[in-house]
Amino acid sequence: MTLLEVAGLDVFHGDLQAIFGLDFSVAEREAVALVGANGAGKTTFLRALVGLIDSKRGNVRFDGGDIAATPAESIARLGLCMVPEGRMLFDTLTVEENLLMGQVSQRSGSWNLRRVFDLFPALEERRNHMPRQLSGGQQQMVAIGRALMCNPRLLLCDEISLGLAPVMVEQIYRAFADIRTEGTALVLVEQDVKRAASASDRIYCLLKGRVSLAASAGDVSLNELTQAYFGM
Amino acid sequence: MAWLETLVNGAFLGGLYGLLGIGLALVFGVMRLVNIAHGEFMVLAAYLAVILVSLFPQVHPLFVLIPVVLAAFAVGYLYQAVIMNRVARAPDPLAPLLLTFGVSIVLRNLMVEVFGADVRSLQLGELSRASLNLFGLSIGVMPLLTLVAAVLLFLLLQWALKRTQFGRIVRATADRRDIVRLFGVKPDRVYNYVMGLSLALGAIGGVLLAVRSSFTPFSGVERLLIAFEVVVLGGIGSFWGALLGGIVLGMAQLAGLKWDANAGLLYAHLLFFVMLLIRPAGLVASKA
Repeated sequence: MTLLEVAGLDVFHGDLQAIFGLDFSVAEREAVALVGANGAGKTTFLRALVGLIDSKRGNVRFDGGDIAATPAESIARLGLCMVPEGRMLFDTLTVEENLLMGQVSQRSGSWNLRRVFDLFPALEERRNHMPRQLSGGQQQMVAIGRALMCNPRLLLCDEISLGLAPVMVEQIYRAFADIRTEGTALVLVEQDVKRAASASDRIYCLLKGRVSLAASAGDVSLNELTQAYFGM
Repeated sequence: MAWLETLVNGAFLGGLYGLLGIGLALVFGVMRLVNIAHGEFMVLAAYLAVILVSLFPQVHPLFVLIPVVLAAFAVGYLYQAVIMNRVARAPDPLAPLLLTFGVSIVLRNLMVEVFGADVRSLQLGELSRASLNLFGLSIGVMPLLTLVAAVLLFLLLQWALKRTQFGRIVRATADRRDIVRLFGVKPDRVYNYVMGLSLALGAIGGVLLAVRSSFTPFSGVERLLIAFEVVVLGGIGSFWGALLGGIVLGMAQLAGLKWDANAGLLYAHLLFFVMLLIRPAGLVASKA
């Protein structure tokens, strides 16, 4: 059963078009990797999906409903949530308060403070710290935990391993296994192609705002991917 | 002893000044907006109180604070929703500033048109004159009540911002107004509530000040000036700093008046000027 279905999506930054006729889909419980070079349009695509960018046209259906014109604050309530690029934590709120912001959308589900602390024990010890006092990896855990508190049906993760120590990346990717057992579908945007492919069922590659490759993660060869990634 | 009495009375007046500043500080902290019309809204609240008192002479004047505060909240909510949110996202910070300046001019002239330019004040009867003797100091009951009310309001606001979900949402919106949308928050609506709260606090200050000193439609500027000085003196963004700043200003004003009866607010302004030179970050240099 398809959870997210995007067809012929164009997205604009002012007069400039960043995404061209994009087709994209995520099935229920599926993990999909979205890779591509810098400037390929990955972040723009995610921001358009959750409603943070309004100038777009095309079809976007989530859970059967049309969300192409839905504002961001209503999309969160449908269960389409995002871990934004650069974490974007609330700097004057404590770790715990940041996590509680996820509850504002009032979606019921199995995620709560307790479960997030079980998933990332490092956060429980630091629940009263400010985000700036945390390491980059721990901040990323807060960003993921905050999105989980929305009880998402589909979680969009934008460049979560960027700038983190490999040990941290390892730890965070292990958490995705737990997150998936809850039935949450995932979209993982990454520059690290291997990492993303190993954690996903299918893989999309973007090149200059267009899909240059869509394949099952197991089948795709490194050669094909390199070609799709760099367009050579 | 007389000087001590002056300083104590100055502290009481300062609690009131803190109330004038807190609404301005709240709006600036959350929306990075300087609401130039804050003073006019305070005067408007005082006019509403005077009208209500004359309409219902059998009700104690302090009870009119309740409808006035509710009305001020509603006015603030609508002011933000109908007018200010149109420019809240403007890339140029001058646009909202100029808009509030325009609103202040319109309000001032509307008040002259509707209420005339006569000097008004709010009479509390017995309560304005009542005083009690504490450790040999003669202390006005009304000023004491005002300071107590100010401290309670500061505590209440602090609690609401730190401990409630509403407060978390307000602080998160101040941090990142785009990202809160990902959690189902409408930033414009948060702004509406914050402006309502700001003008409600301003209304309490405006009405209580109208008990102490008379006002005209042109009094908004003086009140705004005090509010500004309170906020800057205390340290921009610090609520307790605003209360402290108010108390320092109040003491300076009364001490100055004792020294020179014609001085008015001169010494308070001079103190502000000196503080700006030696401690520009404010008395309490922290973020709250």
